[in-house]
Amino acid sequence: MLDGILIGLGTALTPMNLIFVMIGCFVGTFIGMLPGLGPMSAIALMIPIASTLEPSAGIILMAAVYYGAIFGGSTSSILINAPGVASTVATSFDGFPMAKQGKAGKALAIAAYSSFSGGVIAAIFLLVAAPFLASVSLAFQSTDYFALMVLGLTAVAAFASKGDVLKALLMTVIGLMLSTVGTDQTQGVPRFTLGILDLTDGISFLLLVMATFALSEALIAILKPNDDSKRQEEKDASSHLGSMAVSKEEVKEMAPVIGRSSVLGFLIGVLPGAGATIASFLAYGTEQRIAGAEKGKLFGKGSVRGLSAPETANNAAATGSFVPLLTLGIPGSGTTAIMLGALIGYGIQPGPRLYIDQPEVFWSVIVSMWIGNIILLILNLPLIPYIAKVLAIPSRFLLPFILFFSLIGVYFVSFNTFDIQLMVLFGAVALFLRFLDFPMAPMILGFILGGMMEENLRRALLINNDSWSFLWERPLTLSILVIAGLCLIVPMVSPLFAKLRKAKPVETPTAD
Amino acid sequence: MLFVKDRIGGMLLLIFSITYGLLSQQIHLLPFQANSAFHARTMPEVLSVLAIGLSVLIILFPGSDEKPRFAGLNWGLGALFLALMSAYGLMVRPMGFLIATSLFLMIGFALLGERKWWRLLAVAVPTVLAFWALMTYGLDVFIEPLPQFMKGS
Repeated sequence: MLDGILIGLGTALTPMNLIFVMIGCFVGTFIGMLPGLGPMSAIALMIPIASTLEPSAGIILMAAVYYGAIFGGSTSSILINAPGVASTVATSFDGFPMAKQGKAGKALAIAAYSSFSGGVIAAIFLLVAAPFLASVSLAFQSTDYFALMVLGLTAVAAFASKGDVLKALLMTVIGLMLSTVGTDQTQGVPRFTLGILDLTDGISFLLLVMATFALSEALIAILKPNDDSKRQEEKDASSHLGSMAVSKEEVKEMAPVIGRSSVLGFLIGVLPGAGATIASFLAYGTEQRIAGAEKGKLFGKGSVRGLSAPETANNAAATGSFVPLLTLGIPGSGTTAIMLGALIGYGIQPGPRLYIDQPEVFWSVIVSMWIGNIILLILNLPLIPYIAKVLAIPSRFLLPFILFFSLIGVYFVSFNTFDIQLMVLFGAVALFLRFLDFPMAPMILGFILGGMMEENLRRALLINNDSWSFLWERPLTLSILVIAGLCLIVPMVSPLFAKLRKAKPVETPTAD
Repeated sequence: MLFVKDRIGGMLLLIFSITYGLLSQQIHLLPFQANSAFHARTMPEVLSVLAIGLSVLIILFPGSDEKPRFAGLNWGLGALFLALMSAYGLMVRPMGFLIATSLFLMIGFALLGERKWWRLLAVAVPTVLAFWALMTYGLDVFIEPLPQFMKGS
C-alpha cells in the first residue's frame, strides 16, 4: 500500500497535475455554485478538456471538479438558499438561517472545514477499502459482473424517493435501451440506426449527459420568468459575508459530529445507488436525534451541528462512491457513472485489474482527493467572497454561455454537427421529462452500464455453453442477484405493508 | 386525475418503448446468429418488454396525483433557444467558429433581455476569441475559426 501511495503522490504531485487539481477545484466551485448546475453537469462540461489530457491528469481534473462542485453547491445553499444539487439541500436547513443572522462567513467556514474533514477521513477509508475490495473482486467472473451490474441498476430503485421507484426503474431501462443504439459489439449488426450513418457508432455518452443535465438545466432556467428581486437578494448575499472565524467551542461541537458523519457518509457512499444526498439527510437526521432536547431545538435555526453533519457526510459519500467505481468498475452514482464513461473513453476499464494494470491512475485519484480537499480549504475558502460574485452575474449572460459550453463540449469531441442536432433533440425531451418529474440520473447509469452488462452476459453464456444455469448454480452470482431482487421488491412492497398497517386499527395495551 | 404528470410521462415512454420494440424486430440477423441463445436482438427484446411493462404500471398506478403546470413559463423563449442551438449546429462550419459563436451568444443575450448592442459585442466577441485561442494554442484542439469562403486552399 505504501508503494501505491508513493506512486499516487509521485503522479498527483507533479506540477501540471497540481495545477489541474487547482483548476478543477476552482472551476468545480464556480459551476457548482450556479443554482441548478451540480457535479454531474460540472464534470460533463469538463470532459472535453479532460479528454485532451493523459488519463491520470484527466481523472484528477474531473475528481477535483467533483468535490469543487459539491463545495460550490454548499455555498449557494448557504448564501441564497438555492442548493445547486440535491446533496446540499440539507446544508441549507441550517446554513441559510445562519447566513440570515449575518453569519454567512462563519457558515461557509464551518461547511468548508466539515467538507474537508469528511473528504480527508473518507479518503483514508478509501485507501484501506479499495485495495482490499479490488483483491477480493479479482475472483469475480463475467457472471458475477453481470449480477453486480443488475444490482447497481436495481439499487437505484431501492434509494428512489417514495412514489418514484417505478419511474427510476423505467428511466434505467430507457438508458439501457439507448445504449443498444449503434453497431452490436459482437455480431457487428447495426441496431436502431434508422439508416443514419452518424448513429453507427452509437450515441455518445457525453452528448447524453450534456443534453440531460447541463443543457436541460439551462433551458429550465430560461423558461422561468426573470425574478429581479431574487437577483438582488443574490447580489446582496454575495457581497456581505461577515467574519469567517470559527470559535473553539464551535470546533469542539463540530469534532464528534464530523467523526460520526464521515463514517456514515462513507458507508452510504459505497452502496451502489445511494450517494451524497441520502448520506447528508441521514447524517442530519441522526445528529438531530442524538443532539438532545436543548441542542435539537436549534436545528433548522442555524445549528453548527446541523450544518456540519450534512456537509461532512456528503463529501465522505462522494469519496465513498469511488470504491465501487475503482474496484468493481461499477458506478455507485450518476456522477461516478459519468466518470466511468470518461475512463472508458480513455481506454481504461475500471475494475479489479485497474489496481494492478494501471496503479498510477488508481492511486493518483485517491491521493488527489487529499490534495483537492486541502486546496479547497486553503484556496477556495479565502476566495469565496470573490467566487461568490458569480451569483451576481446576470442570468442573461450566464445562460447562453452554459448552452454554448455544453454544445461546443460535445462538438469538440466528435467534430460532427449531427451531434449538436441530436443533443438539441435530447435536451428538449429531457426538459419535458424533467417537468414531469422523471429522474435523469438512473437513465445515465443504465446507459453507461448497458453495453458492459450485455457484453458480460454474452460472455457468461459463451463460457456456460449457452446455458442460463449460471444464474443459480454459481453461489456468488446467485447471492448478488438475490440482493438485487430484494432491492427491487422491498421498495415496491413496503408501501403496501404500510397501507395495510394503517388500515388495521392499532390495539393499544390496557393497564389491566 | 387522468392527466397527472406520471401518466403523461408514462404514456410518452410507452409509445417510445413500443416503437423501440417494433424496431428491434428489424435488426438483421444471419441464420446462424438467430439460433444462438443470445444474439443482437435478445437484449433489445427483453428491454422493450420491461419498458412496456413499467410504463403500463406507471400509467395504472401513478406515484403522485400532481398535474403538470405549464402556465407562467416562457415556452416560446425556450423554443427560440432550441432553434438557435440547432441553427448554431448548422452554421458553425460554414460560418466558422468565431462568427457563428459570437452571433449565437449575442442573439442569446438579446433574447434574454440585453438591449445595449455594445454590451452584446463586448461580452461575446472577446470571450469567443479568448476561448478559441485557449483551445487552439493551450489544448491543441483546432477548430476552423473563419468562414468557408475565407479559408485558404
